[in-house]
Amino acid sequence: MTRLSIERLEKRFDKVAAIRGVDLEVEEGELVSLLGPSGCGKTTTLRCVAGFEAPTAGEIRFDGEPVTRLPPEKRDIGMVFQNYALFPHMSVRENLAFGLEMRKVSPNDVATRLADVMSMVQLSGYDERFPRQLSGGQQQRVALARALVVEPRLLLLDEPLANLDAKLRDEMRFFIRSLQRRVGITTLYVTHDQAEAMVMSDRIVVMFDGLIHQVGDARTIYDHPATRQVASFIGSSNFFTGTVTGRDGALIRLDTSFGTVACGSGHEVTTGETATAMVRPETLELSPAGAEGGFSGTVGERHFLGNLTDYRVTMADGSVLQVQGSANAAFAPGEVVSVSLPAGRAWLVGEASA
Amino acid sequence: MTGANRPWLLALPVLAVVGAFLVAPYLNIVLMSFRVPSTTQAYAPGFTLDNYAKSLFDWLYIEALLDTARLAVIVTVSCLILAYPVAFHLARTTSRWRGVLYSIVLSPLLVGVVIRSFGWIILLANNGVVNQALRSYDLPRMQLMYNEFGVILALVHIFLPFMILPLMGAIQGIDPRLEEAARSLGAGRGTVFRRVILPLSLPGIQSGCILVFILACGSYITPALLGAGRVHTTTTMVVQMLDQFLWPFGAALALTLALFGLIAVWVFTRLSGRAMRGMA
Amino acid sequence: MNDRVTSGRLALGCAIALVYIFLLLPIVIVVAASFNAGQGLKFPPDGFSLRWYVAFFTSEPFMDSLRLSLAVAVVATVASGVIGTTAALYYVRHAGRWREVFRIYVLAPLLLPEILTAIALLFFYYQIGLGTRTVVGLYIGHIVVCIPFVFLQVTAALYNLPPSTEEAARSLGAAPGVVFRRITLPLIKPGVINGALFAFIISFDNVSISLLLKGIGTTTLPMQVFDYLRWGFDPTTAAASTVSILMTLGAVVLVDRLVGLRTVRF
Repeated sequence: MTRLSIERLEKRFDKVAAIRGVDLEVEEGELVSLLGPSGCGKTTTLRCVAGFEAPTAGEIRFDGEPVTRLPPEKRDIGMVFQNYALFPHMSVRENLAFGLEMRKVSPNDVATRLADVMSMVQLSGYDERFPRQLSGGQQQRVALARALVVEPRLLLLDEPLANLDAKLRDEMRFFIRSLQRRVGITTLYVTHDQAEAMVMSDRIVVMFDGLIHQVGDARTIYDHPATRQVASFIGSSNFFTGTVTGRDGALIRLDTSFGTVACGSGHEVTTGETATAMVRPETLELSPAGAEGGFSGTVGERHFLGNLTDYRVTMADGSVLQVQGSANAAFAPGEVVSVSLPAGRAWLVGEASA
Repeated sequence: MTGANRPWLLALPVLAVVGAFLVAPYLNIVLMSFRVPSTTQAYAPGFTLDNYAKSLFDWLYIEALLDTARLAVIVTVSCLILAYPVAFHLARTTSRWRGVLYSIVLSPLLVGVVIRSFGWIILLANNGVVNQALRSYDLPRMQLMYNEFGVILALVHIFLPFMILPLMGAIQGIDPRLEEAARSLGAGRGTVFRRVILPLSLPGIQSGCILVFILACGSYITPALLGAGRVHTTTTMVVQMLDQFLWPFGAALALTLALFGLIAVWVFTRLSGRAMRGMA
Repeated sequence: MNDRVTSGRLALGCAIALVYIFLLLPIVIVVAASFNAGQGLKFPPDGFSLRWYVAFFTSEPFMDSLRLSLAVAVVATVASGVIGTTAALYYVRHAGRWREVFRIYVLAPLLLPEILTAIALLFFYYQIGLGTRTVVGLYIGHIVVCIPFVFLQVTAALYNLPPSTEEAARSLGAAPGVVFRRITLPLIKPGVINGALFAFIISFDNVSISLLLKGIGTTTLPMQVFDYLRWGFDPTTAAASTVSILMTLGAVVLVDRLVGLRTVRF
């Protein structure tokens, strides 16, 4: 089991900065996802850890020893690629044995380890097939097995589920996660799919534009996003800007153009400062007009989504809030309603810093 | 293989061989073209512009250059006309003979220029197959060879695949649904071809024409064999200069031809580029 | 479908058929002429005979030129195979800022008129004192004009091999040399073989380079045919041509058996 440390990592391609200073610790046996839109630097970070890209600055350590200058084949990693990168001219068995052969494992051990790993990924009996004779899901499992059979220090996965159809993708999420838990291997997982990251990870690293915006578990990132980008990338959110007027215990009073909101915050703010808060549509509650503690608004559009109903409510100042409520409670378009906001569910978002 | 650490080692062989045996020789003939010709040695001392003056202003060579250009244009246009229907059919057909037809288009590429020219000699010679057939029906003999007709016919044959292949590629790239869309809008077959297929295949026409024109300008073997000294192109004249050991002049003449070819292609690209912009 | 359209299509079909006949005609006629019994060419032919093949295979000059042609083609194929493949590897996997310049540089022998290249090489050999006393210059000339064909085929094969396949091998512990031997080379082999096939055919059929660079007293098969044709008609040349066509065809069939020609990109 290996602890991975990434320290002040930077990578520039010609003049374009792909990573602008990334710090990250991945604990032994932990699965950490790098989540972000394409071009955010998550894949480049992974490729630096794998050794396929030489960082412009910074250090990568496995269990404290620097590996930054080691070529990929000396790092003892297992990697799964987005297109699986199975060797098309080798059978499943030869694909799986390749890494063991490179490590000069004795033929007897190879046989037992192959049998073990094939049953682990439920591919027993597929030894002599060639990659092109396998379905996408099977190819994916061979790629996973090929990376795991060498018992690497670190498992690196680069959008491994991106090429699968939706249903299979759901199954594979749980499959990979339970396999990773069983083997107990330290894992770095790159994805642009927020649901995937939330289901699979111990912790999620959200990246934008070469910078880490937030590191945390799924709940923290969803409820308490550090920046506006994190909030809008994961789930839907309403944003509003106002002036900080003081504190109510742990909460901060934000004066907005439609009323005063009590917000939680992860960073220090001073009275008089302008700040932006976000609130998730499903935490807002609608009640008939005039209800206590609510802000007055008018229902604009209403869409039935099956498990819930989606409203657009125009507030007194003209701003529009998205509100999601139960499918039954029906407010008609044009109806004047009261929008209430449970204390602390609004959250002040900050700016990213390098 | 040292791919990872010293990738430039992979580039080294080609850089060395092409550098020493292509770049250097070409620089050498550029230099050579400014030398003073001599019949007793490679060149006489000193430098001169006379070689270029002669190849650009002596009517004999201007005429050869114009003849070469005319020949190349006729060959290019004939290739285009013959190639288009074949390319269109080959691009769109689903017939099980497609593979065979494609092989027929490629087959001339597998047979050397000399052999293909030889085939035309057998057919077109004064006592060749065609004339013998004519005689057996008591028809008058026709001069089919040792003139421009024979050279053009053989050149068209030799370069036809170079026109068909890019055209086919371009036509294959046109979504067949565009034709269906145009027909659904009320266009007849002819209109669809004129307004949709033809404009969209212009890039293929352009690359095919450039390829054939350049190849035709630089052809030597076929004019030498089927023209047999009676059809003068710039290339046959250059080789004559070599035989007469007038190397600097031969070099200037050859470079003039190359330069002329480049200018022609440039003008053509500009003109056809304008046509392609018009279609967008 | 009305009658006018149908007859139009028929006419177009006939025109296409005529073009195919036009493409095949001179090749068929050469082969036919080689089996003709008569001295000259007759229409209709004089009957079937193999005498011109006997003449060809017992002719000292023709056999010499056939041997030289094969030797040159084999050397050119192997040398341009190695040079073109390494160049393609560099271009696809490593070339940086100068990649387009590099590409033009490698393709230059294909882009420049062959006869001009031959002239340039001839002058150059005399300037550096090599001249045409030996056939070394001929070999080099053939290698140079064959390089682009190998380069194009291998480049296409490499583009079809995602870099992640090689990266996967390295992540599993294979050093670059092992990756090349075990992964890259087996996977681009069809491209390399197709490129070699092209090189062989280009060299075997080449005349422009051989015309000017052949050594004194030596000549290649197409050059021998060219010289015979200049001085008149001899059916032995038809037999020589047919043998040459069969050898190219043999190479194509061999490669098709080895890797399948569907992978060739024209």
